[in-house]
Amino acid sequence: MTLRARIQLQLGAFQLDAELEASPGSVLVLFGPSGSGKTTMLRSIAGLVPPQQGHVEVGGRVLCDTSAGAWVPPHERRIGYLPQEYSLFPHLDVAANVGYGLSTLPKAAQEVRVRELLHTFQIEDLKAHPTHTLSGGQRQRVALARALAPRPDVLLLDEPFSALDLELRRAARTEIRRILKATSIPVVLVTHDREEALALGDAVLVMDQGKRIAQGEPLQVLGHPAQARVARLVGVENLLRMRVAQADTRTGVMLCEQGSVRLEVPLVDARVGEDITIGIRADDIILASSDPSGLSARNRLPGKVAEVAPRGAGYDVLLDCGVPLRCHVTQRAVEELGIRPGASLWAVVKASSCFVVEGS
Amino acid sequence: MIAVPRRARTANPLPQLGRIATIVYVLFIGLPLVALIARALGSAGFLQGLTSEMALQALRLSAVTGVISLVFIVVVGTPFAYQLARGRSRVYQVLDSLVELPIVLPPVVVGVALLMAFGRRGLLGPGLEVLGITLPFTSAAVVLAQVAVAGPFYIRAAKLGFQGVPTDLEDISQTLGVSPWRTFWRVTVPMAWPALVGGTALALARALSEFGATIMFAGNFQGRTQTMPLAIMSAMEVNLSSALALSILLLTVSLVILGALGLVARAQGSRR
Repeated sequence: MTLRARIQLQLGAFQLDAELEASPGSVLVLFGPSGSGKTTMLRSIAGLVPPQQGHVEVGGRVLCDTSAGAWVPPHERRIGYLPQEYSLFPHLDVAANVGYGLSTLPKAAQEVRVRELLHTFQIEDLKAHPTHTLSGGQRQRVALARALAPRPDVLLLDEPFSALDLELRRAARTEIRRILKATSIPVVLVTHDREEALALGDAVLVMDQGKRIAQGEPLQVLGHPAQARVARLVGVENLLRMRVAQADTRTGVMLCEQGSVRLEVPLVDARVGEDITIGIRADDIILASSDPSGLSARNRLPGKVAEVAPRGAGYDVLLDCGVPLRCHVTQRAVEELGIRPGASLWAVVKASSCFVVEGS
Repeated sequence: MIAVPRRARTANPLPQLGRIATIVYVLFIGLPLVALIARALGSAGFLQGLTSEMALQALRLSAVTGVISLVFIVVVGTPFAYQLARGRSRVYQVLDSLVELPIVLPPVVVGVALLMAFGRRGLLGPGLEVLGITLPFTSAAVVLAQVAVAGPFYIRAAKLGFQGVPTDLEDISQTLGVSPWRTFWRVTVPMAWPALVGGTALALARALSEFGATIMFAGNFQGRTQTMPLAIMSAMEVNLSSALALSILLLTVSLVILGALGLVARAQGSRR
């Protein structure tokens, strides 16, 4: 059963106008900054926010069609929804939360289903616990078990990891991936975390200011974004404005220049003399203490360290090579290479790590 | 000479002041209560006062009208309070501030207003007369007066209770296949329960002690409109021990309600 949704909605000055499609057994990631309309999109699909104009259908069953006046209320949609803060019922214990959506089943069948879910999510020991005693990770599992209990046709997850601390996120991600794969229903997952999108998404849809601005395979869209707007949203740290100096159709590379800086990048449809924007992710740059030789990497740029700042577990280094280049390195690399402001270093970048970004 | 440390002279005077104020206040409230109890239990006619015809009739009337008022307040007040808590229209914002008016209005004024509306020469009087309904100076008028004065206490508490239930939870309930009506009973009411019970107790207490609006709109007729507070006033003129006995009875009821409120608050505290 495929989910198809088109939503148009005006909320004050904010306008949402987007469509999406999610196929069974796959995870569609809605990616975008906060305020881009991702949550409203989910709530609208679930029927909690009626669109001014729109169409929602699951496997051919029309849930909302404003032009035909069709409207199925949320409680008849069979769409599971996991909100950001999980919203567990505080007046019920864990087992009652999980079984909440099963009230139409006979008592015995309810108990079987609850036991099954408690087992799948490894929360059997918690079944009689009140929800306020649970940890973040436990709350997430209870909420997900509750959403899946009535066997929904679609599952909507709104930033399911945002309430967890960093260490827990990776573990929870692996587990959720496994469970989502096993359900074989369409899943729409909202996030603004690139790593999460790459780890969980089969497809990604980038939203900004209520509009869809890119869509496709996660590695392609998030790794090599084709538009400057998308690149900025997904956090491509280096966007360089350069002029095409040579284009070689035989080897499939272009040579681009800005001042004394020259970069070899994959060939795109651009004329010699044209100005283009090149994106390079900070993670894709290698730093060396001397001019490296015998490398397959095509670009080696000498420069001076302008800035070193701690970033998570490693460091963020700003290297001035004529153009500023931002690179991510580990603590050990900083120590061994003696990276400090003023130090001379070489930046090494593979041609294939450079990608051309449309617009400015 | 021993120098007094500067700190000692500039020490915080608040605790000392607080202790003195506590003693003054406790004596002020406690002394009359002790006097009332001592006098009532000491008087020979206590049991007689309690079982006099007047007292028994007042007791019965208070119990019956109190329960009817409470049922009416809860049945109409609950959906109204929910609408006040959730309604987004301007109308409800205005109503929200007006609904508490009877709390601050002198009850006598409420009584006069009721007369002007439902009295024989009131706004609806002629219309009601055609239907053969006379409200003023009947037991029904007692109920109306109690509802008007005590209702806002329940509505205010219930509204705050409903506002404390996150709409997210009601939304989630619906995505789990539970209709809005059943969501109200499975999520909203259980979560607002302590507030609803507290509001009910407050409204009951207020209805039982209602005096001003009742005497204005319903009068003071033994067996028909003379509730306990009115009976106490009448008894003071003829039979002090009867008044004392009724006072003790109302005091006991109030203490029971206060205790119940405390239990509810504790239950609420332990659940969080």
